[in-house]
Amino acid sequence: MTMHPHSTPPHAAEGVLLSACDVVRTYRMGRVEVPVLKSASIDVKPGEWVAILGSSGSGKSTLLHLLGGLDRADSGTVTFRGEHVGGYSQSRLDRYRNEHIGFVFQFYHLLPELNVLENTLLPATIGIGRFEWMRRQGEIRDRARMLLDRFGLSHRFRHRPAELSGGERQRVAIARALMHNPDVLLADEPTGNLDAKTGDTILDMIAEQHRAGLTVVMVTHDQWIAARADRTVHLVDGRVA
Amino acid sequence: MFLKPLRFGTLAVYTQLLVRRYLSTRIIPLIAVAAVGLCVALVVIVVSVMSGFLDNLRASGRTLMGDVVISYPVQGIPYYKEFIADVLKLPGAAAATPLVDTYGLLRMPYPGGPNKDVVTAQVWAIEPETFSQVTELDRTIWWKPAASAQEALTMAEDDPRRQQDLSGLYEDAKVLRDRATGRPGALLGMHVSIVNQRQRDGSYRPRNSMWWMPNHEITVTLVPISEKGTVSQSNSRVFKVVNEVMSGVFQVDKNRVFIPLKEGQELLRLDEAPIVDTTAVPDASGNYPVIGTSPARATQILVRAKEGVTPDELRVQVAEAYEQFYLQKSADPNVRTRPPAAEYVSIMTWEQRLRDLIAPVEKERQMMRILFSITYLVCAGLILAIFWSIVSEKTRDIGILRAIGASRMGVLWIFLRYGLTIGMVGSGVGIVLAWLVIRNINAIHMALGNDAPPWLYVTFFLLAAGSAALTVRALTRSRILSVLLWTVATLALVGIGTGLVLHRGFLIWDPAVYYFATIPSEMDWNNAWITAVGAIVFSVLGAAVPAARAADIDPVRALRYE
Ligand SMILES: Nc1ncnc2c1ncn2[C@@H]1O[C@H](COP(=O)(O)OP(=O)(O)OP(=O)(O)O)[C@@H](O)[C@H]1O
Ligand SMILES: [Mg+2]
Repeated sequence: MTMHPHSTPPHAAEGVLLSACDVVRTYRMGRVEVPVLKSASIDVKPGEWVAILGSSGSGKSTLLHLLGGLDRADSGTVTFRGEHVGGYSQSRLDRYRNEHIGFVFQFYHLLPELNVLENTLLPATIGIGRFEWMRRQGEIRDRARMLLDRFGLSHRFRHRPAELSGGERQRVAIARALMHNPDVLLADEPTGNLDAKTGDTILDMIAEQHRAGLTVVMVTHDQWIAARADRTVHLVDGRVA
Repeated sequence: MFLKPLRFGTLAVYTQLLVRRYLSTRIIPLIAVAAVGLCVALVVIVVSVMSGFLDNLRASGRTLMGDVVISYPVQGIPYYKEFIADVLKLPGAAAATPLVDTYGLLRMPYPGGPNKDVVTAQVWAIEPETFSQVTELDRTIWWKPAASAQEALTMAEDDPRRQQDLSGLYEDAKVLRDRATGRPGALLGMHVSIVNQRQRDGSYRPRNSMWWMPNHEITVTLVPISEKGTVSQSNSRVFKVVNEVMSGVFQVDKNRVFIPLKEGQELLRLDEAPIVDTTAVPDASGNYPVIGTSPARATQILVRAKEGVTPDELRVQVAEAYEQFYLQKSADPNVRTRPPAAEYVSIMTWEQRLRDLIAPVEKERQMMRILFSITYLVCAGLILAIFWSIVSEKTRDIGILRAIGASRMGVLWIFLRYGLTIGMVGSGVGIVLAWLVIRNINAIHMALGNDAPPWLYVTFFLLAAGSAALTVRALTRSRILSVLLWTVATLALVGIGTGLVLHRGFLIWDPAVYYFATIPSEMDWNNAWITAVGAIVFSVLGAAVPAARAADIDPVRALRYE
């Protein structure tokens, strides 16, 4: 696949991996328009851990979805490595999410019918064609097992998500997000559903990945959690302060 | 840089994995498979039986009466031999045979209680040799030697066909005569006497071997009717029962008796006789002078078409030949008894003759088609509803998959494949089920006709007892759902058991109503394949709509879906 010749947006600073520039997102509910993001901008540098802090309903998740290519902005641009994500074709966008982004959600979002190992393997089974899968299956499975091992889930491979605790589920979700070696981990309140102690271990795991060079964007409304990041930005009134 | 292989949703590993997991970890696909299977089986069974019935009807119609029937009841057609000679010269005719048909009384040899030993029957007086050329009477003769020693061994011990050498009887039947004594023979329809009892395997045993009909004689009484329609003195004659025939057409097997043509004509006074002048003075011995001969008559002439000639073509030829025959006989001054004019004689193809019977069945089949289109639609709606609920329930999964990079086509393909699998498995189940039922439909029907065997209801009561015990156990553990389910199961089992005890046997297929002695049990494979493919198409379509909807869902909204 060749790279699309997107012009680099003028304000994209050098050394920026992922950025949003003046993005606007308005939801229409019946006849009422709800402006959620009014003109939000954020730059994420490679290897950086950024926390987005904001009150409930301020549009943190919306911004994260725009950065991850799950949603399109009404105006403004999202750029990844200087490429205009908004200009991607549907299939290029699918691949962007698959190869470059790893999502972690507050409610884990594992597939209930698949076991722990299969859930972890999912990004690889989506991103890889059948023939490559047949060729590299062993190596890919080894990576999934290695990740689960490292997160203390080695005895849980065959378990269904329903049989796991919340903390265990979130660890599986992180393993799944890391499966494909993404460039950016987008975590939407990864500890929001967990007690403080369990949340801490999850944050420790993210911190460990971050130390190993992973870029992380984390959404939270807890400033103590935000404190673990390199940098914290505030989302207030649809703008990043 | 981004050099990655093309990812076809159709080939991707995750679609296969998810289809397999969605199919294997839930109950709903089983319900869908059962629904598709039952729909397919229902359609295949009923259509097979209906078309088997129609095919039987067509086949038997022709084998019973040839292709074209010329009929002039009661008085019959004189000079029929000459007419048959004319018919045989027709380009389309292969064979022709005369017969006299009437109703008569049979006195049976067995003691039947009040009036049971006298039955009314449709008597066909035939020339066996030519009759067999036109119809397939030979084939329907029942008591004949087994084709091989192996076949004989497959017959039941008490089947008369196994017990004695029937070759003599078979030869007697073919000439309608007891060859040993030269006495005229009678061929009875299988159900004319009350002796024969049908077995589950389709064979027959005499109720009492003493009254096995081919060992006995019957007395046939016929009533001649004069030209003016008055009834004269009835005539009786004794016939040796030479064999019995089983055409499979119940009305025929219940009512028809064959005797030789000559005897029939004599009993009905349709044979050749001198005409006397009763106005003249009788001679010394009291006889009136003979002034001519009244020719023998036949009330029906059956004609068989040559290979490749349709009954309708033959009918036209026969009608023309009859017109000629009539004109020629009318012009002949020596002929005192003219044949009936063409307009009084019915000349019909076998299909026209059976129209009263065939037309309603054809109509019924049309009705069935419409009903089954509706059944199809109901099934498709059912599948659609099942898939809709499955996909709705899976909306969040779809959002998750999209967030991880699954394409819309991939998501669509998961559910299409799901529908395809359910459709194929369901159709397969349905066809196997239909095949089993159709193959055994007569046995099943016979089983329904008998009282339930004790082991069957005892089994059900034992199961009910077990289920009651489980209800009690569930009660002690206070599991509400278990209590509910086991109570229902207990009641159902007790109900079935009681039903079986009370079951006194009923037959849905009354041969008297449905014309044939057995239910057609040939699978209509063409229809089966079409039905199966239809069911698969409906399953895929039923899955396609919600799947397309799923593929259209905005991933963020799908993720928020509760
Ligand atoms: N699909 C939608 N349709 C209508 N309104 C929406 C939709 N998605 C989000 N919103 C609205 O946008 C606003 C921001 O939502 P968002 O989920 O981004 O907030 P958030 O900052 O993540 O809040 P929280 O901390 O509670 O998760 C909310 O008021 C929400 O009601
Ligand atoms: Mg949120």
